[in-house]
Amino acid sequence: MSNGDPVVETNDLTKVFGEFTALDRLTISLNRGQILGFIGPNGAGKTTAIKILVGLMRPTSGSARIAGADCVRDARRIKRLVGYMPDRFGSYDNMRVREYLDFFGAVFGIARRERAKRINEVLETTGSTYMQDRFVESLSHGMQQRIGVARTLLHQPEVLILDEPANGLDPDARIEMRELLVRLAASGKTLIVTSHILPELSRICNIVAIITRGKLRVFGPLEQIMRTIRQRRICEVQLVDSSELEQARTTLVEALDETERPTITVIESESLLRFQSSRDDRDLAALLAHLVDRRVAIAQFREVPTDLEDAFLSVTREEKQEAEVVAK
Amino acid sequence: MNPIVSREFFGTLRMPRALAALIVLACAFSLLVLARWPSDAIVDLSGGQSRQVFRVFAYGMMVGILLLVPAFPATTLVRERIKGTLELLLNSPLHPFSIYAGKFAGLLLFAILLLLTSVPAAAACYAMGGLDLSRDLGAVYLTLAVLMLECVALGLLVGTVAQSPDAAVRLTYGLVFLIACLTPGPYYLLQGQPGLLTALAYWLRRLSPLPVIMHLVGDGGVGGQGLMESGSGAGEYVLVSLAFTGSVLGLTLFRLNHRLFDRSRSQGKITEEQPLAIRAARRVMFLVDPQRRKPGIPFYLNPVMVKEFRTRRFGRLHWLLRLVAACAALSLLLTLAATTGTMDWGVETIGGMMVMLQVFLIATITPSLAAGLVSSERESGGWDLLRMTTISGFRIATGKLVSVLWTLLLVLLATAPGYAVMMVIKPAMWLQVQLALACLLMTVVYTLSISAAVGSCFAKTAASTVTVYVVLMALFLGPLLVWLGREAPFGPTVVQNALLINPLGAALSVMKMPGFERFELIPGCWWASGGASLAALSVYFFRIWRLTWPL
Ligand SMILES: Nc1ncnc2c1ncn2[C@@H]1O[C@H](COP(=O)(O)OP(=O)(O)O)[C@@H](O)[C@H]1O
Ligand SMILES: [Mg+2]
Repeated sequence: MSNGDPVVETNDLTKVFGEFTALDRLTISLNRGQILGFIGPNGAGKTTAIKILVGLMRPTSGSARIAGADCVRDARRIKRLVGYMPDRFGSYDNMRVREYLDFFGAVFGIARRERAKRINEVLETTGSTYMQDRFVESLSHGMQQRIGVARTLLHQPEVLILDEPANGLDPDARIEMRELLVRLAASGKTLIVTSHILPELSRICNIVAIITRGKLRVFGPLEQIMRTIRQRRICEVQLVDSSELEQARTTLVEALDETERPTITVIESESLLRFQSSRDDRDLAALLAHLVDRRVAIAQFREVPTDLEDAFLSVTREEKQEAEVVAK
Repeated sequence: MNPIVSREFFGTLRMPRALAALIVLACAFSLLVLARWPSDAIVDLSGGQSRQVFRVFAYGMMVGILLLVPAFPATTLVRERIKGTLELLLNSPLHPFSIYAGKFAGLLLFAILLLLTSVPAAAACYAMGGLDLSRDLGAVYLTLAVLMLECVALGLLVGTVAQSPDAAVRLTYGLVFLIACLTPGPYYLLQGQPGLLTALAYWLRRLSPLPVIMHLVGDGGVGGQGLMESGSGAGEYVLVSLAFTGSVLGLTLFRLNHRLFDRSRSQGKITEEQPLAIRAARRVMFLVDPQRRKPGIPFYLNPVMVKEFRTRRFGRLHWLLRLVAACAALSLLLTLAATTGTMDWGVETIGGMMVMLQVFLIATITPSLAAGLVSSERESGGWDLLRMTTISGFRIATGKLVSVLWTLLLVLLATAPGYAVMMVIKPAMWLQVQLALACLLMTVVYTLSISAAVGSCFAKTAASTVTVYVVLMALFLGPLLVWLGREAPFGPTVVQNALLINPLGAALSVMKMPGFERFELIPGCWWASGGASLAALSVYFFRIWRLTWPL
């Protein structure tokens, strides 16, 4: 396998439970060292897709390959290639962290001396050496998640697949988890990380897949998605005095073109004008100058920052409207 | 009405196992009466026939209650705590007492429903004549009703202590059997002797419904050493048991509040970091210290087996060693008592008692270890992790089985000193002891494979534990019930065949235990138990193999 080949590849992956289609023709691919942010609301089908990828579920149709190994036929090879952390921790009673990791190391057939070394390494990597003697079931959720990541690293897999690693963590623990994931990607691992909330992923992933109701809505590099979002940047003009709102609105209507005009909204209570535009920064500056020329007292002119969250929201909203139409 | 009563009652009724319990009981009782219904229009006016039916019927009902009732109260509180609804209830304006009373009443309603399934059979029994409504039937029902109260109260108490539903089930069954079967023990040994100890033992015995039922059905003389008692003791039993139930109730109420949630998590202290004095003390106390840092799993051991040992509180070696030590002491005491002539029992009876003790241990320990082998893994999410590793399903299956097998073999070894003493006294018994040990080994394999197979069919550990207990107890107690009726209503062939169901009968007949010596069970028992074990093992391996496949 050459370096350019995708490490993870799915082709029309579909899973049907009875009559319900949980996953509908998912096609994605991912290169070495990339972090895929797999985003979707609860029940979107993320876990289903991941379970198929790691060989715990059979797809109804379609195929998936990881580093050239087929997820259905080469199940044993997949197990060596992939480190999988399910959305549940999977703790055992009366087991200390070190014994727990030792067990999974032994189950992977790692020799005892090598195993001890690996355990020290993964504890170090995840910053959990200090809890090696604690009982796993007594750990807090954030600690358990770190031990979960440590466990997936034990057999040195190429691809890490983490299902909701930040779910239920407090902000601090979330930042720690994010830093850990970035470190792992930097060390050359390919990561797939799912989440139903965005902020924790928007800063670390370089590929994004947004999925709702089993269908892939958006897929591509983060920058590209951000660029498409930027094409509809939202600008706000904050006036000093709400009595000038009407004047400012007519001025804007003059300056904007046909596609932009209908997007103007006036929010009287806040002395605010909002519109959408695809102009670049220079054109926006000219627009501002034009407003100032007309002696409108402007307190603030700003672009509403857009991020992955907006992309996500707009996608899910579109999808909701679609569903409503279908329902009618 | 207290809203908890209806929720508890209908919630219980909705459980599949509740339905199963009702149906099984109803069928068993109807079959029993059908089997003995006078076929030839001649009614035996002396009532002998109805007495025979009544005997099996009363024992059967007691066993049915002991098997079926404890499972429900044991799990209800633990389950509510884990799901978080108990917090909500305790936070509501309801007083803990009304929560408790509601649960108690709901569960009791269900238990009464179970008892009601026997009424048609009892009526038929009565119709056959020869039974007194209040002295026979009434007393039995009163005893059983009090027993139910006891079971429900105990189950609820355990629910406030146990951490998981399956632990609660185990503990409740253990306690119930302890109270029902073992509390009469001391009195049998001490009876006839004067002294305070005997008096205490007498009242301790009154906790158990067993002597009362035995007396009511006319088995009062068994083990009585010729000392006949005048009354059945039903009144005393009711008094003692109600007092006991009351104190259990008080204790439960004492625990049913913030105490349930106010638990500190183990901080994971390890012995290596303790001061020297504590380290030395632990060395002596534990032999195998559970708090020491464990070495890595060596390559020649199945990691799943080692994991099973390490994750079981009970399976951690220090517990096992304590248990084995206790058994060894008990068996030595028994044997010594026999040799020094303190008791005029033959070596046969002692041997039989040791066999019984061991089978009792095996039959109670095995389900608690083997029933949850697969389901606990599935419940905790560990199963998906195991499936994602390179270990094969076969190794998982064998590792889990072997971990239980080792434990049971240790338990079996515990009585070895007793047998050794026996050999010294009566060397002629060598062949018998050998055969008995072989039967016990068979019992281990038999209980283990059946528990593992039945347990592997469930996704929830509590359900699998209950089912395995019920199945095993039915397999072991059922033939004994039939054996009780060996003169009548059952003929020798029926008893012979029933005893073949498990290896216990063979072990007892080999040891020439009184009442068993005339049955010839040896080759037949090998075939029956061996075949059953093989079938069960295939089911177990098949289930694990299926579960390792992608869905
Ligand atoms: N074994 C199953 N049988 C039936 N439906 C299922 C099963 N597993 C998941 N689903 C359904 O498939 C959908 C996707 O689930 P999942 O992949 O777990 O979503 P999420 O994106 O939150 O991880 C959900 O609606 C869920 O109810
Ligand atoms: Mg999920």
